[in-house]
Amino acid sequence: MHDVGPAVATVSRRGGGPVTGEDGGRGPDSRVTDHEAFTRLVTPELDILYRVARTLVRRPADAEDLVQDTLVRAFRGIGGFDGDHPRAWLLTIMRNTEVNRNRRRRPSLLFDPDSSDAVADVGSSGQPEEEFVGGEFERAVRTAMLALPEHYARVVGLVDIDGLSYAETAGLLGIPLGTVMSRLHRARARIRKQLAAAGMAPPGGTT
Amino acid sequence: MIIWPMSRIRGVMSCRQAARVLQSYLDGETDVGTGRAVAAHLEVCRQCGMKAATYEAIKEALAHQARETDRETLDRLADFVEELVHDDPAGGPEVA
Repeated sequence: MHDVGPAVATVSRRGGGPVTGEDGGRGPDSRVTDHEAFTRLVTPELDILYRVARTLVRRPADAEDLVQDTLVRAFRGIGGFDGDHPRAWLLTIMRNTEVNRNRRRRPSLLFDPDSSDAVADVGSSGQPEEEFVGGEFERAVRTAMLALPEHYARVVGLVDIDGLSYAETAGLLGIPLGTVMSRLHRARARIRKQLAAAGMAPPGGTT
Repeated sequence: MIIWPMSRIRGVMSCRQAARVLQSYLDGETDVGTGRAVAAHLEVCRQCGMKAATYEAIKEALAHQARETDRETLDRLADFVEELVHDDPAGGPEVA
């Protein structure tokens, strides 16, 4: 499934000790400790990686493939990782992985879709059991989200559903932090407006 | 209903200023000082307070849509990591 190249397994940590074993990855048992370090680094992030992948791609199997490809790239590139913010590092790798996968198949969903008016399918698996979860308000919010342009829905999905920070979202999508904030602001304002039109939220201004 | 003109009160954030940072505030992405200023504004401004409450409800509704990653998927991914590191064909780390 993957073409794993040689792993550069020493991981230096900026402003702190190495994330490898006690010998800093240079002793006779360094391969074991370095590999353990990689495992320790990525294991806590597997859940969020998969959830984000589900936001980025439609089919669960594709999401799992995306996570696996991301892990392979991370393993191969760990030598260039400074040990800080492993989640952000992994999300950036996931972005590059997804861009490359899509380049082979179709126009990337991760290229900046500013000009796109495509309606989002973010988070929609099409499975009936997911369609009617929650109360009326939650259904209305979900409907409003599905009506958002894709580049808005993607940011809302990553921040509000997957729980990423602004910085993590910016890194994943390859857009400036300010763009994350403005898209989030506009997306939520649209959702609120739609809820207000349906009588499920107080009317208000445009903000 | 009287909407008090916040911008006329010295030291209190205006509605326009609050609106500019409201989303960041709700996401916990503002600094402490800005957060306090927004919170103070929301306490005294009914209109902005209602708006903030709506946005909080929207955020909560969206958070409920978070998918639980099933245990089987997580186990498969953990196994994949194990295979990845143990099948490393390099036979050991590259030391620069």
